[in-house]
Amino acid sequence: MSTHVEKTGNSLIQINPSKAPIPFIIIGLILLAIGGYATLQVLFKGHEAVYGVTREVPWGLLISTYAYFVITSTGLAFIGGLGHAFGFEKYSKVSKRIVVMAFVILLAGFTQIGMEIGHPIRLMIYMILSPNLSAPIVWMGVFYGIELVILAIELYLVFKPNQTAKDHETAKVVGFFALLVGVFATSNLGYVFGSLNARPFYHGVYFSTFLVISGITAGAALLMVIHNIIYGWNIPEKLNGTMNALGKIMGMGIALMAFLYLWKILSSIYTQPGDAYLSAMALIKGPLSKNFWIGELGLAVVIPFLIIAFTKARNTRALGVAGIIFMIGLFFTRYDFIVAGQLPPMRKALEGSGVEAVNGLVQYSPSAGEWMIFALGWGLFLFLYFMAEKFLNLETEEHH
Amino acid sequence: MNEKRYAIVLDTKKCINCKACTVACRAENHVPHEEGAYRIWVTALELQGKFPDLHQDYEPSQCQHCQNTPCESVCPTRATYKSPEGVVLVDYDKCILCKACMTACPYNARFVHEHHKAIDKCTFCYHRLPEGREPACVETCPTKVRVFGDLNDPNSQVSKLLDTNRYYRLKEDRNTNPRLYYIIK
Amino acid sequence: MSFTRLKLSRRKFLAASGVTLAAASMAGGLSSIKAVANDEAKGKLGELGRKFVPSSCAMCVNKCGLIAEVVNGKIRKLNPNPKFFKSRAMLCARGNAGVEEPYNPDRLKAPLLRVGKRGEGQFKEISWDEAFKIVAKNLDEIKRKYENRSAVAFYSTEGFQEEFFHFLVQSYGSANTVRHPTLCLSSVIQGWSSVFGTYPDADLTQAEFVIMLGANRGEALVTPDSIDFQKNRPKGQKIVYLDPRFTVTASKADKWYPVKPGTDLAFILAVTNVIVEEGLYDKEFVDKFTFGFDKLKEHIKPYTPEWAEKECEISASEIRWTAHEFAKYAPRSLVYPGRRTSWYVNDVYLRRACAILTAIVGSFDVPGGIVPKSSIPLAKHDPIFPFFDMSKGRLDVSFKGIKELLPEDERTAAGLPTDSCTFLGEKDGSWLAFREAALRGEPYPIKAIIAYKQNLVESAPNREKTLKLFEQMDFICTIEIQMSETAWYSDLVLPESTYLERWDPCHSLSGIWPIVTFRQPVIEPLFNTKSMHEIAAGIVNEMLKIPSLWDDADSADVEDFKATLVEEILNKPTEEFVKYQLSKYPGAFDQIKKEGVFYLSDKPVYGKMRKEGTRFKTKSGKIELYNLKYEEKGLDPLPVYRRPSQPEPGKYRFILGRHAWNTHAGTQNNEYLHMIQKENSLWINTKEAIRLGIKSGDYVKVKSKVGEQIVKAYVTEKIRPDCVFYAHGFGRISKGLSLVYKKGASQAAILEDKIEPISGNAAMHETFVEIKKA
Ligand SMILES: Nc1nc2c(c(=O)[nH]1)N[C@H]1C(S)=C(S)[C@@H](COP(=O)(O)OP(=O)(O)OC[C@H]3O[C@@H](n4cnc5c(=O)[nH]c(N)nc54)[C@H](O)[C@@H]3O)O[C@H]1N2
Ligand SMILES: Nc1nc2c(c(=O)[nH]1)N[C@H]1C(S)=C(S)[C@@H](COP(=O)(O)OP(=O)(O)OC[C@H]3O[C@@H](n4cnc5c(=O)[nH]c(N)nc54)[C@H](O)[C@@H]3O)O[C@H]1N2
Ligand code: SF4
Ligand code: SF4
Ligand code: SF4
Ligand code: SF4
Ligand code: SF4
Ligand SMILES: [Mo]
Repeated sequence: MSTHVEKTGNSLIQINPSKAPIPFIIIGLILLAIGGYATLQVLFKGHEAVYGVTREVPWGLLISTYAYFVITSTGLAFIGGLGHAFGFEKYSKVSKRIVVMAFVILLAGFTQIGMEIGHPIRLMIYMILSPNLSAPIVWMGVFYGIELVILAIELYLVFKPNQTAKDHETAKVVGFFALLVGVFATSNLGYVFGSLNARPFYHGVYFSTFLVISGITAGAALLMVIHNIIYGWNIPEKLNGTMNALGKIMGMGIALMAFLYLWKILSSIYTQPGDAYLSAMALIKGPLSKNFWIGELGLAVVIPFLIIAFTKARNTRALGVAGIIFMIGLFFTRYDFIVAGQLPPMRKALEGSGVEAVNGLVQYSPSAGEWMIFALGWGLFLFLYFMAEKFLNLETEEHH
Repeated sequence: MNEKRYAIVLDTKKCINCKACTVACRAENHVPHEEGAYRIWVTALELQGKFPDLHQDYEPSQCQHCQNTPCESVCPTRATYKSPEGVVLVDYDKCILCKACMTACPYNARFVHEHHKAIDKCTFCYHRLPEGREPACVETCPTKVRVFGDLNDPNSQVSKLLDTNRYYRLKEDRNTNPRLYYIIK
Repeated sequence: MSFTRLKLSRRKFLAASGVTLAAASMAGGLSSIKAVANDEAKGKLGELGRKFVPSSCAMCVNKCGLIAEVVNGKIRKLNPNPKFFKSRAMLCARGNAGVEEPYNPDRLKAPLLRVGKRGEGQFKEISWDEAFKIVAKNLDEIKRKYENRSAVAFYSTEGFQEEFFHFLVQSYGSANTVRHPTLCLSSVIQGWSSVFGTYPDADLTQAEFVIMLGANRGEALVTPDSIDFQKNRPKGQKIVYLDPRFTVTASKADKWYPVKPGTDLAFILAVTNVIVEEGLYDKEFVDKFTFGFDKLKEHIKPYTPEWAEKECEISASEIRWTAHEFAKYAPRSLVYPGRRTSWYVNDVYLRRACAILTAIVGSFDVPGGIVPKSSIPLAKHDPIFPFFDMSKGRLDVSFKGIKELLPEDERTAAGLPTDSCTFLGEKDGSWLAFREAALRGEPYPIKAIIAYKQNLVESAPNREKTLKLFEQMDFICTIEIQMSETAWYSDLVLPESTYLERWDPCHSLSGIWPIVTFRQPVIEPLFNTKSMHEIAAGIVNEMLKIPSLWDDADSADVEDFKATLVEEILNKPTEEFVKYQLSKYPGAFDQIKKEGVFYLSDKPVYGKMRKEGTRFKTKSGKIELYNLKYEEKGLDPLPVYRRPSQPEPGKYRFILGRHAWNTHAGTQNNEYLHMIQKENSLWINTKEAIRLGIKSGDYVKVKSKVGEQIVKAYVTEKIRPDCVFYAHGFGRISKGLSLVYKKGASQAAILEDKIEPISGNAAMHETFVEIKKA
């Protein structure tokens, strides 16, 4: 089944006759309802009552999901920027989808941090009144704020009727900034973790680089997944080149990620008996080992990489499958990394210390409430994105 | 140098693990009766030896009031700040509960205060000091394990104790320059 | 130290812990106070402002000096009183936790009358007038029905208001008061008094060599000893500590001997043996002050270190070392008398032996030795009570059945009398002998219980029996601050104001550093509560309205009684009582109100009994190494070692003790303390645990002859393999204690009720238990 789109060009609202978005809109709504319920719980009962994070592991599922979303968003913006700013034809063919997707997924990310942080409004006030410029979270706010604005402008530009040449010039510049800010935002996010004295597992430049690359990889993967969904696993030929290019990005991305990860883990193991070692061991044979071997390694690396390699990134359906698997796997990568870094206790779990540990590690598992806020993020993403697919024209015209 | 530099010196050999300090702190500072909510703790260190040759020590601790302050440097809103005397404090009204400071603190000294909806931790009982009163944990400690005072005053008891005793500080490798000193006897 | 020059930082600072009134009152709305109706907690006078009120702690027996910080009529914090030198300017965890007592949501708030079945916990609130009438009516009915006022038993534990409780007892005329000492320290008092004629203190601040037998000062806090033993420990002081458990005290001691339970006497006798045999005793002192040394010399011969080693499992060489050191440092060496000695059936002999050992090296009434207590005399009211014809003598005096409370192998042993308690305290009685007699109704029935500040159900061994006793009662009334088990099983529960809400009489705390303390209200009483003084007044005034309550007394006596007790004491405020107590010392009342303490000197007093011609309160007037009264009563005049009963294979001895963060079974429902310990757990030695397949955290069943409990295991090297332990105060059966109801295990439920027959003390370490995985 191929999507039939009238070539009416520039009208903003356009109902897409395809039914593909509808189930996702419904799922999105259901997830939003679940998330809304949890949000009310959080408002009435407080974070502590609803979330499973603790004094020992203050950052859990929500921060992981936040990172997952926003890094994917900046990855998308990066790919979009390549299209716009550097005229990579292949990417500009899907630039509307990229921008919408990046925007919506950034919003989804914001739901997570918004529900995680105790006082999001205060953040905005005091970031202006008394910002601490040495604190990476300030820069995180700045960069992601700018990213949001840039994406909004891009949105405006891509949907602007009657595009002029000047618009294209502006789009180029904006696209370039989107790419740049995206890189800054993501690498700074790495520093949000890297700046934590107590958590040696997060230290080192590796993490920022890793995040940037994994973001781009995720962007590519997501694009392939969504296109497959929209086109009913039958992507039109004209997009084959784009998909193939995305597939290659993804393959390369995965290879680089695996490379960086390998060294990260090895170097952590050599810090024995330090905390980074404990974190690495938590992944390799500790409480996170299932996540690590199956999720991070199997789903995020081995399987998608093999699929891409075997199909030479040409079979779009296979790429879609690889994309889904990778996106699931990548979630484990985010979650594991953030949680593993916090599992080594800052104080030994001795009588009276207030710290409880199993095999020398503190414990964390997300609460139902956290899973529901997780659902909120996905709900928002699915609902908004597929509403856009259904009611906006996301097909990109050929540039003249 | 007429600025004060507050510190606590602990002689843990005298500690009887009575936890008076923990209750005094809870009461003085309205720390909620919740799991994980505490500013101060007393740990029974590992039992050494085999029956009947046993040894055990107790180690009370709290926020170290690090002078290289990991929690302060990551705090986006400057809710965490240092007083002129080097006491590390949190302004509840500015705290956004991003918990970066909790994640950054190598001593697990911070927690979320449910009633204030802000981060909380030991303040050296800063509010007591202008009245000439010692921190609640110091004042109540039966065996006077804890001594509070001004390092810049050579005649203070803390200065004298540090002059005449060897001491260690917790996690020196973290380069935090703590203001809690543990006497070695 | 002065921090006053410090200016509060320019920054806005910590809303809740600020010193400003607004801040403090807002903080008052937090956590611990949240459950109490806010209007009540605000203070009845709507008082504004901040004040510091000195008073004294009542969270345990020590009565440490406190200064309450009160803001807008609400207690913000309890701080130590630096001038109160007996407590060395500290408050322990419990003392600090006292801040919650008035605001504890579970506290009793109004008089309660039982409406359901007894023990069901169904009560209705009634007025005080009704409550007083009910008590008076029941007292009258019992008196008429049984024609014996002593059919009402009055139970109480020490406390400043206990005096008023006893005024109530005497107003009614029962001879049966049952106090806590025979669950606690009556045997150590008896043992030391049998040698020195007095129960002295230990001067830990100057002693150079200290032997402590399971007196767990690091956890069972006794002021000033618990503090002195670390804070004021003299350089080079050596502490030798015997305890089957590695306690905090053990961790601080120079030597810890994990003595085989029940065999301390062998150790002490062997140390004495070495000192006597090697002539290391203080000959001059012995000649001048003691009686019976020659007999001791003969008696001690067989008790060699080699013999003792086999009994107590402490090596002969260690025993010799102890003896040599002990003698070397004398008179700055001592055997610490201890306090809760409700241990074994022969406890008095052990304590006697400790006193004898101290005596022969002359460590008496000198710095660093054992020092007789001094006290500050207070003015005493002397009210006149009627003599009632229907008052019979104490039940436990004539009770002959305590044989059954001795282990079988001890029943015929020479030196342990087997009919009744030899030295029964007139006011204290013997808790277990009394219960046994009451259960049998011998020689007369007991039909009502009035309990004040004692939790009979949890504090006495063999809970089943206490509950059975309750079943026999026509009327049970408990005066409490919380729904203790005793209150839960009562017909009428009277809520006393807590120690922070009332005036309490002065007490002279005797010791090496005597000091006078008292209580004044730091806040107005919350809810509908009254002090024991007011309760006694209320009941007695109602009693006076019932003529049949007074018809067996001389009417002139009754008039005198009304004048001297009712009008002069009961119907006056407690403050007047306090003023009178201090009337000997001009200015003392104002001083105590202001400073929370009154004393004549802050210096220790030594040597007052070392003077020429001192008569000790013994038969011979000397320090009796050989006790003449014991000889008369057919007891061993010198301590004879008898091996304690031993557990059958596969069983363990259950031993008792406490942690520093709770008092008996009284404070576990306080949230501050609950935060420290939520339930107790069974200490079991690692080897035994492995044998039984038990891991830390597993639930185990602990079963004795009289009951069983389920409790978490704590597998540890800190206890000998032949005994097990869990702390007192958990496994509660009153639903009115919401934090600890059914949490952990109760000691009372599994302890057998064995007795030490000389002092009448309970012998609580004579229970053997089986342990199984639950
Ligand atoms: N924190 C706290 N302090 C208190 C109290 C409290 O409830 N809590 N209560 C107060 C009162 S009323 C009292 S009476 C005192 C009691 O204080 P203590 O007299 O010190 O009595 P326990 O705490 O019962 O400690 C008894 C110790 O004896 C050990 N023991 C058991 N069997 C033997 C034995 O055969 N030989 C030897 N050598 N040791 C043995 C036990 O393991 C335990 O450690 O504490 C007072 N202080
Ligand atoms: N199993 C076991 N039994 C023991 C001991 C043990 O270690 N284990 N220890 C023994 C010893 S040493 C002692 S001294 C005794 C103590 O025996 P108890 O005196 O029965 O001790 P507590 O359990 O503290 O009970 C005191 C009760 O008084 C109440 N109370 C507190 N303050 C007030 C007040 O101001 N007014 C009134 N009206 N009531 C108040 C408390 O709520 C509590 O219920 O127990 C002995 N029994
Ligand atoms: S109050 Fe003092 S003795 Fe008690 S636990 Fe705290 S530091 Fe140790
Ligand atoms: S101990 Fe932790 S909270 Fe305290 S100053 Fe250091 S880093 Fe900050
Ligand atoms: S949680 Fe509060 S105090 Fe901590 S870093 Fe964030 S804003 Fe600062
Ligand atoms: S100094 Fe004050 S805030 Fe810090 S631990 Fe002690 S009592 Fe608590
Ligand atoms: S020892 Fe503790 S509980 Fe007992 S009176 Fe003193 S402060 Fe209060
Ligand atoms: Mo006691």
